[in-house]
Amino acid sequence: MLSKRSIVIRSGLVALLMLLVFSSTGIAQEATQFPQATAMGQQSLKPYWHVFIAYAIAVLLILGWVVSIARRLASLEKRIVD
Amino acid sequence: MSVRGLRIGGTSLAVLGLLLVGLVFGLSFFWVSTEASQGIAQRIFYIHVPAAWVAFLAFGIVALTSAMYLWLRDDRLDRAALAAAEGGMIFATIMLTTGPLWGKIAWGTYWTWEPRLTLTLLLWFIYLGYFLVRSSSENAERGKRFAAVVGIVGALDIPLIHLSVVWFRSLHPQPVVVKPDAPSLPGDMLSLLMLGLLAFTLLFFGLFLLRYALETLRDAADARERRATT
Repeated sequence: MLSKRSIVIRSGLVALLMLLVFSSTGIAQEATQFPQATAMGQQSLKPYWHVFIAYAIAVLLILGWVVSIARRLASLEKRIVD
Repeated sequence: MSVRGLRIGGTSLAVLGLLLVGLVFGLSFFWVSTEASQGIAQRIFYIHVPAAWVAFLAFGIVALTSAMYLWLRDDRLDRAALAAAEGGMIFATIMLTTGPLWGKIAWGTYWTWEPRLTLTLLLWFIYLGYFLVRSSSENAERGKRFAAVVGIVGALDIPLIHLSVVWFRSLHPQPVVVKPDAPSLPGDMLSLLMLGLLAFTLLFFGLFLLRYALETLRDAADARERRATT
């Protein structure tokens, strides 16, 4: 059973991650309106959701691996101490 | 190297890698120019290509350490192969999920059974088999040996994946960096790609060291428990 503190920390991290990803894609969408974006580039801006999902998958898989290693290390240390 | 040294080194590299990956993400949205024909979708390239590079690097390490394990029977080599295989699977999954997202925009379909995609999916399944073979054998030593053979055979697929776009008719883009002529990417895109390759590689090696430390600790704990029961 997760402690209340742990649930709050995890919820905060997930919210922060979502905020970062959403704000990045939102600002990126605006950035493409700048003059350096070509007319052809602007025509193909609709699929920004694909970019958002691709970056989100990369972030989740990498962080998932980091958390998984940290948890396994912590449980092994506990086993060794016990 | 001691477990403590591995953990310090691994954590330092992983933190540096994570910071650089964050920088690459930021630059790919706010700095690099938008590609003319593909628009924003081309930005997937800055995670797809580094993930592919790290996956192939990791599976190459699996093959090398597995071959040396079969020769020397040193458990440290098996641990290194296992750690690299886990990382390889993570980055290969990133490569295999981000590619189709780009493909939907560029080709109009998420998946097509063209040579490079098919061979890459085959690679993913071979290394899935690596873990299944390890865990399904009742004799742990035999499981390690069988997995080592799978690890070596799987790596033979990597050069085929790289050359498949040259040898066969393929929808997949031709190489733009690793090719006989000079790279054909504009300067800012090439710089960001190189930074992405560095970031993903540092992150992989950091997590690889931590994963290796984990296996070392697990083996030590198992040995201690065996001694306690006898």
